[in-house]
Amino acid sequence: MKLITATPWGVYTVWWRHFQVYRSTWLVNCLPPISEPVVYLLAFGYGLSPLIGEVDYLGQMIPYARFLAPGMIAIGVLFQSFFEGAYSSFIRLNFQKTWQALLTAPLSYTDVFLGDWVWAATKGTIAGTITGLVAVLANLYDLSSLVLSLPLIVLGSLLFGAFGLLVAGAVNKVDQVNVPIFLVIIPMFTLCGTYFPRDTLPPLLAKFAALLPLASLVDLLRWPLGLPPWWPLLLLWLIGWMVVMARLAALRIYPRLFS
Amino acid sequence: MSDALTLKAYDLWKTYGDEAVVQGISFSLAPGEIVGLLGPNGAGKTTTVGMLFGTVIPTKGFVQFGSWQLPGQGQLARAQMGIVTQEDNLDPDFTVFKNLTHFAHHYRITGAAARQRAGELLALVNLEHRAEAQVDELSGGMKRKLVLARALLNQPKIVFLDEPTTGLDPDARQDFWRLVQDLKASGCGILLTTHYMDEAQRLCDRLLLLQQGKVIDKGTPTDLVARVIGREVAEIEGVETQILQDLAASHGAWYRAFGSGHLISLPDRYPEVVWDAIAAHHPSRLLRRPANLEDVFLRLTGSVLE
Repeated sequence: MKLITATPWGVYTVWWRHFQVYRSTWLVNCLPPISEPVVYLLAFGYGLSPLIGEVDYLGQMIPYARFLAPGMIAIGVLFQSFFEGAYSSFIRLNFQKTWQALLTAPLSYTDVFLGDWVWAATKGTIAGTITGLVAVLANLYDLSSLVLSLPLIVLGSLLFGAFGLLVAGAVNKVDQVNVPIFLVIIPMFTLCGTYFPRDTLPPLLAKFAALLPLASLVDLLRWPLGLPPWWPLLLLWLIGWMVVMARLAALRIYPRLFS
Repeated sequence: MSDALTLKAYDLWKTYGDEAVVQGISFSLAPGEIVGLLGPNGAGKTTTVGMLFGTVIPTKGFVQFGSWQLPGQGQLARAQMGIVTQEDNLDPDFTVFKNLTHFAHHYRITGAAARQRAGELLALVNLEHRAEAQVDELSGGMKRKLVLARALLNQPKIVFLDEPTTGLDPDARQDFWRLVQDLKASGCGILLTTHYMDEAQRLCDRLLLLQQGKVIDKGTPTDLVARVIGREVAEIEGVETQILQDLAASHGAWYRAFGSGHLISLPDRYPEVVWDAIAAHHPSRLLRRPANLEDVFLRLTGSVLE
């Protein structure tokens, strides 16, 4: 694959196209990131809190609902950016031929790829932020903490958006997107410390879960509750995953457009 | 129109593994000219067009368009190109009007300028009454016209039409041809790929006949027909093959079995001699008609276009 220069306008105009689609059905699009965390917080937060009470996190006891809230933010980021990158990009690539149409305009492959990627990350960021705001309203996360967490939300969205694009470029049929969902996404969102501290898992499983990128994102989003001493490594781990995913995604999608 | 915006293809080759899909195609396309790539399915027409605008990377050769060289500078060159691809890639998420205004954004045509340009183009292709329709509600012909309108947003100097009328009914094809002729009159250079002879004969100033990725002949439609076949052809049924073969051989005419009958070219000089000789055998069907590109293709390749 040749490296073709992207222009800020090129990336922006592709992103803008996706935003126009989103804007035309904004009410429907805003529903999942609002309703999902509310349901999760009600079901797990209020439903399980009386049973669990407090959890031991980094040596301190934390009310379960406050422990859960950052996990919900991370899940909002994961689902929205991954599904946009995987399903929506696959449809734009293989059914709607949007990528092919865009490449008849004066846009480079890099423009179109980055535009799609940034859009997937935008959806993750919107979902993470709305989830965070729901948590703020429920008094489970501080507003100032949410503002300071925005860079983490963006980073996580870029990472999982790139993973989604990699899936879109790797599968041949839309049903095959289910394979990484069942093999990666579901294990990740259940095991990575979103609903319970990972140290309750068997040691080997806990170590495996800690290597998955959602674990690093959740740990970092819990910074108001405390950070593990090696947190800069978690940040680097996320950035490394993001770079690798984005590179692999670009390499997988390119041959579908250029021969 | 500047001569600098002539498009030139130099010795284009494309191979996939051991299969050579395009083999050494060279040609030029000047402003105000329609050049046709005529060939059956799988002849390499779409692959060649892809190399001209940059989505197919040539195994060998390059394309010069003005000061830009492709494939490396495809992004820059496409600012002056209009591309109608064979596959329908209109945006189903938008209305007809927004398909144009939103695509104009990619050319940095925004706001009122985009709306004005979209309105002009919808009027040009007679779709202004469907501006608020969804793309899925359009007929096949309307969709092709909308793709053409989208390709003209940037007032391109050159337009690629890849099988633009495939699947359209005769009225829609006539309508599309009128638009293409108007574009040519405005000074636009047009590259048309088609497997319809009537389309190629009516629209194209020059033709490249393609078979299995090679140019097997080229010229104006009239010259090609005159040079390869002559002025007229007789279609015959109900006469023995050997009689017609002997007749063709004795007059230096082209002969070929075709369907349930035969074709034989009538010599430009004294065609009546051959015609009368055929008629003397009382064929069950006998038709005398002008030679066309189908005959040319049949003679050059031994197969019909499909």
